[in-house]
Amino acid sequence: MKILETQNLKKIYGTGETAVHALDGVNLVVENGEFVSIVGTSGSGKSTLLHMLGGLDRPTEGKVIVDGNDIFKLKDEALTIFRRRKIGFVFQSYNLVPVLSVYENIVLPIQLDGSKIDEDYINEVIETLGLSSKLQNLPNQLSGGQQQRVAIARAIASKPAIILADEPTGNLDSKTSQDVLSLLKITSQKFSQTIVMITHNEEIAQLADRIIRIEDGLIVGGENND
Amino acid sequence: MIKVKNKKIKSFLSRKTLFANKNRNIIAISAIILTTLLFTSLFTIAISINDGFQQNNFRQAGGFAHGTFKYLTKEQYGQLKDDTLIKEYGVRRFLGMPTDEPFNKSHVEVGYSDANYAHWTYCDPIEGTLPKENTNEAATDTKVLELLGVKPELGTEFTVTFYVDKKKTTQTFTLCGFWEYDSAVVANNILIPESRVNSILNELDVQPSEQSGSWNLNVMFKNSFNIESKINKILENHGYQNEQKDDNYIAIGVNWGYSASQLYQNMDTTTILAILSALIIIIFTGYLIIYNVFQISVSNDIKFYGLLKTIGTTPKQLKIIIRKQAIMLSCVGVPIGLLLGWFVGGKLTPVISNQLDGIVTVISINPIIFIVSALFSIFTVLISCHKPEKIAAKVSAIEAVRYTDAANTKQKGKRKSQKASILSMAKANVGRNKIKTVVTVLSLSLSVVLLTITIIFTKGFDMDKYLRRMAVDFQIANAGYFQTGGEIFNKDMELSENVIEQMKIFDGIKGGITYGKVSAAQEFVTEEYYRNSLLSHYNTEEQMDSIISFMEKDKNNMLVANVQLYGMEDFILDKLTVHEGDISKIKEPNSKYIAAVYSDDDYGEIIKESQWAKLGDTVKIRYVDKFEYFNPNTGEVYSQDEDFSDLPFSSRAVEYHEEEYIVAAIVTIPSSLSYRYYGSDEFILNSQTFINDTGTDSVMYYAFDVDENKQQIKDFLESYTTEINSSLDYESKDTYAAQFSGFRNMFLILGISISAVVAIIGILNFFNAILTGICVRQREFAVLQSIGMTGKQLKKMLVFEGLWYALTCAIFSLILALVLSPIIGNMFENIFWFFTYKFSIIPVLLLSIIFAFLGIILPLITYKFTVKHSIVERLRAE
Repeated sequence: MKILETQNLKKIYGTGETAVHALDGVNLVVENGEFVSIVGTSGSGKSTLLHMLGGLDRPTEGKVIVDGNDIFKLKDEALTIFRRRKIGFVFQSYNLVPVLSVYENIVLPIQLDGSKIDEDYINEVIETLGLSSKLQNLPNQLSGGQQQRVAIARAIASKPAIILADEPTGNLDSKTSQDVLSLLKITSQKFSQTIVMITHNEEIAQLADRIIRIEDGLIVGGENND
Repeated sequence: MIKVKNKKIKSFLSRKTLFANKNRNIIAISAIILTTLLFTSLFTIAISINDGFQQNNFRQAGGFAHGTFKYLTKEQYGQLKDDTLIKEYGVRRFLGMPTDEPFNKSHVEVGYSDANYAHWTYCDPIEGTLPKENTNEAATDTKVLELLGVKPELGTEFTVTFYVDKKKTTQTFTLCGFWEYDSAVVANNILIPESRVNSILNELDVQPSEQSGSWNLNVMFKNSFNIESKINKILENHGYQNEQKDDNYIAIGVNWGYSASQLYQNMDTTTILAILSALIIIIFTGYLIIYNVFQISVSNDIKFYGLLKTIGTTPKQLKIIIRKQAIMLSCVGVPIGLLLGWFVGGKLTPVISNQLDGIVTVISINPIIFIVSALFSIFTVLISCHKPEKIAAKVSAIEAVRYTDAANTKQKGKRKSQKASILSMAKANVGRNKIKTVVTVLSLSLSVVLLTITIIFTKGFDMDKYLRRMAVDFQIANAGYFQTGGEIFNKDMELSENVIEQMKIFDGIKGGITYGKVSAAQEFVTEEYYRNSLLSHYNTEEQMDSIISFMEKDKNNMLVANVQLYGMEDFILDKLTVHEGDISKIKEPNSKYIAAVYSDDDYGEIIKESQWAKLGDTVKIRYVDKFEYFNPNTGEVYSQDEDFSDLPFSSRAVEYHEEEYIVAAIVTIPSSLSYRYYGSDEFILNSQTFINDTGTDSVMYYAFDVDENKQQIKDFLESYTTEINSSLDYESKDTYAAQFSGFRNMFLILGISISAVVAIIGILNFFNAILTGICVRQREFAVLQSIGMTGKQLKKMLVFEGLWYALTCAIFSLILALVLSPIIGNMFENIFWFFTYKFSIIPVLLLSIIFAFLGIILPLITYKFTVKHSIVERLRAE
């Protein structure tokens, strides 16, 4: 089942001579439960693509269809609501809210939505990510790896359709990166989550089910890892 | 220490950082401007008013010489004038005063002043010159000429009748110069040459004495500090003193107009504290905002400072870089603030001084104002940067990269809350930088509290209390009655019946007459009481001994003392404040009841020691028809034709009758209805008993209330007392009321301007806190939005934050106001007798509503600017 699809996605910054084609017609399909990594060098357009997939930025042309919805047909307000229900983000710089405790950070998207917290599910996620003892701490009292695990928990908490991870290990040392990534993978399998992760690191990309390569705003190839 | 040539690069870095931060600069410069403005305008107003007060005092004191040696002989004058302490001197020889019409309402002096003294007493001819010796010239002011009916033309002859030591003389002068009349100057002068003074003294056979013709030496010192001790030093240098009336006694005068010297002498702890706290409040408010701005900008730039550190900038250099920025900002802010402040101060001063009765409007351009204000502002800026400097200097390069606003809170404990509602997030956000929040709430609350105090202060000005002094709508009497320091009431000052008849023509008038004592009346008191009476405040113990030894004693060894009596009609009796007893017994015809008059203080509290007679006491009054004078040492009685004024004499009644009265009431008299001078114990009779027992019926004044036609009656009185019967004068409640509201308005304007400035600072701080709070968190908001916070929710959170400030400030200032107001109210009541403390919650409510409104509007506006950038742009921004 297709969970995510892009059709001829284009993003052009500027106009005329100076126009930069960040995305130049990307067509992409992600199946439900898949772990896909998007690999490209810096400036290849991979971040822009991720932002489009998450509805953080609007494309110049083309469509993004998440779980059967053309997300750019939604108004800003509705798009935000759609995002918090269907998409979970994991950023390179964790982006936790500094004034909220670990637990509060994790359940924030659910509470923003005003939905009831599925305590059992949340506890399981917390357990899996090894955060049980840190729930009442503030983010700045945690290590980088711990912070990123909180970010992953936050992304999964609202049971989204897809998790979008933007260089999730970019700020971590290689040992911690391995831990975090394996946790990400375990979690996604355990809770049958679809994950799209961008990275410039080939080694990390290898952890995914499928690798998509992007260059100059175009998909240049894909391969399956088995 | 190794000297490194790095000054340039530090300046370069400060400049670069400075220009990178446009918004911060605008806020910081505004804060500096505002602080400077506050200092400058305050100093301008204070110094201008002080100058104006001084000018006004000089005019009232009659001049601006520092001090005077009075009633000197020619010899003493010659000795003192060349003392080295004296910088300049002027001489004055008073000759006499005209008191007959047309001068009965003015204080005019005839005498000689040298050029210095004439200048010091505002006698600077605008046309002509001062009189030349050995001529019959005279110079005077336009008011005197107007009263004489003489045109101000040089060379005109005019004739004045005046009294030289009680001897009447009529002299003719030629006008040689005149100056403009200044209503603020109490005394008018007719200046004549010294030769003429001598010739008039000769002509009248008067020896120069205290009353006339003696030399008054007026002096100027290097400065106005400590005038009195300088004068005493001069006396000491020449073997004189002014403690005891011995041979070497010289009377002195210190010009009380010099508030500098007054302040110097009267500088009590309260005044110093008041001045200090005013300065501290300004420094603190300035500190709050400037500190806040720099603190925030350092938090913003902390990564940059961390970076500078990693490449080898020392903490000291970082401090210098920040301080340089502050100084550069001050260079722009301070001069603008000085100019604006002077302008504002200059605009406000006339408004304030116009309200003050008779203050001369002066706008000071004293350079000290600017220097001191500038220094204070720079001082404020520097202390404001101190903490931010320390933060920047202390932060480690690695920490700087991770630095968030929350990192410098000391929140170590774990958060208990399990719910992350929008409200609790907003609360957490506000608590993120505790210092910033406290500072913002403090400065906002300060403005609320200041406004509350101002409103309480001006609302508390109690017109009724003030007008207690003027108990009736109108009062008409001989002009001399209203003159302070005027003559003792006598038969020539009585008000004729037909004037009262004139007044009664008007409808709706209710009034009454008070008869004043013009014949001698005496009471009998113990020596102990007399010794402790008010007289003892003006005399030394030795002098009191001497006074008492000359007094007559009756057979019970009681002292026979003069007594002051009133004969009051019922209308006036009803205006008295009865403290004990019942006034109605006094109103009965042929009543032998009497009211004992006590003094009260400004607060209407009766002064127990001011009278001896208690309720129910019998008071014996002796009405004297004839005295005889005798030598108390020898017992020799002087015959009526004898001139014994140079010999010791005492008097006793030989023809008299005595009456006894019972004290029916203990009363105080509203000051406007009294004799308006204090002489001796006072008692009140009803008018009929007064006429019967004293055998006199001189009306002192007629006082009345009116129901309507107030203005018409006022106009009538005005024209009647100036045109028809100019020997009369009147007072109305309106005059007092106008005085009062002028006084109140001055404080209202002053208070509101100060609270306004503080409120602006508070709002700026508030704006600053919200604006910077939002700017710093741009990226965080983007994160929140990316994980699904809608714009609406974000706005809600920001509004909650704004409202939190407003609410905290409201609660805090309410508590402060509730605690401080009674304390301050009490203080005001002690300072101003016409003040009644009334608490008012309105300023707190009003400002809280304004702050709440701002708390909603400001975040929304700021949010609008924020969302101009897309989430992605904001996420990328590091």
